[in-house]
Amino acid sequence: MTQREKPIEIINPPNMLKVKVGGRIAPADPAAIARAEAALEEIKHEFRNWLGEEVNKLEAALTRVHAEGLEGDAGDELFTVAHDLRGLGTTYDYPLVTRMAASLSRLVETSEKRANVPLGLVEAHVGAIRAALRQNIRTDDNAVGRSLAEELETRVIALVGVPS
Amino acid sequence: MAVELPADRALAKVRFLIVDDNAAMRGLIRAVLAAFGCDYVFEAADAKRALGILAVEQIDILITDWKMSPVDGLSLVRHLRDPEKSANPFIPIIMLTAYAEPSRVRAARDAGVTEFLAKPFSAEQLFKRVQVIVNRPRPFVRTKAFFGPDRRRVTNEYEGPERREDAAL
Repeated sequence: MTQREKPIEIINPPNMLKVKVGGRIAPADPAAIARAEAALEEIKHEFRNWLGEEVNKLEAALTRVHAEGLEGDAGDELFTVAHDLRGLGTTYDYPLVTRMAASLSRLVETSEKRANVPLGLVEAHVGAIRAALRQNIRTDDNAVGRSLAEELETRVIALVGVPS
Repeated sequence: MAVELPADRALAKVRFLIVDDNAAMRGLIRAVLAAFGCDYVFEAADAKRALGILAVEQIDILITDWKMSPVDGLSLVRHLRDPEKSANPFIPIIMLTAYAEPSRVRAARDAGVTEFLAKPFSAEQLFKRVQVIVNRPRPFVRTKAFFGPDRRRVTNEYEGPERREDAAL
């Protein structure tokens, strides 16, 4: 808290949620976690297809960027899809896709950054993500996948700096 | 000693609202919550629809993405924390986002999120956030510049065992 934010009022609202629940949630509930992990396991066979749909969206966004340029709505859409992939890749058992999508997200995060981004580096990210999916390279345990991800990240850091 | 309940009994009546523009992600979160025993899970693809649901349903915990358009999740949080605009400015809010940078976490806390969880998330991580919200809710703070959960708690207060690395997000 900074000095200028004073005075401070502390409010302890009644914990109606605890009342509704009827007590405390057990600190550990391995059965609940196991059920959730089993539920995800049940739909796991769909993950590759779902990830494919997300990569299709990324390629469509890149196509739009080719037509309209990185500035404006097309660039924003590309960032949105890349950002979604960053969140979904590992969930879909492709942490390498999350890593590459995170790098792409950082590259095109703001219109200021997009103004100075070489399109070839964007294309390299999209191509690498598609290749990882096509060749079923899921993690950076794969030497080629790791070295590609590192190369992309190095180029992005050179352009936009390290994450803050 | 307070009664301690397993998740499926504790969460059966708790009403969740998931706000995320990605349908697949909403589906994954819903699947995890259902496995925890949650019977009431609402979904919205954007902030406007979320506000529509909040106007007619009593939602206990809101889980929102950050990057959405036209109104992003951070703006939604600010709106919900505004006592003059919000029917429930105390609603627990979990920000579930692919943004993971410390600056983003700080911005989310400054907007008034209750818990922050970076995607990709695990079932265990989401369980921890929900458990902390129910068992050890943060006091609220009102200053001239801020209204929301006390930001001084820097780590979550999950009481169960740690099974994996889970940065103080």
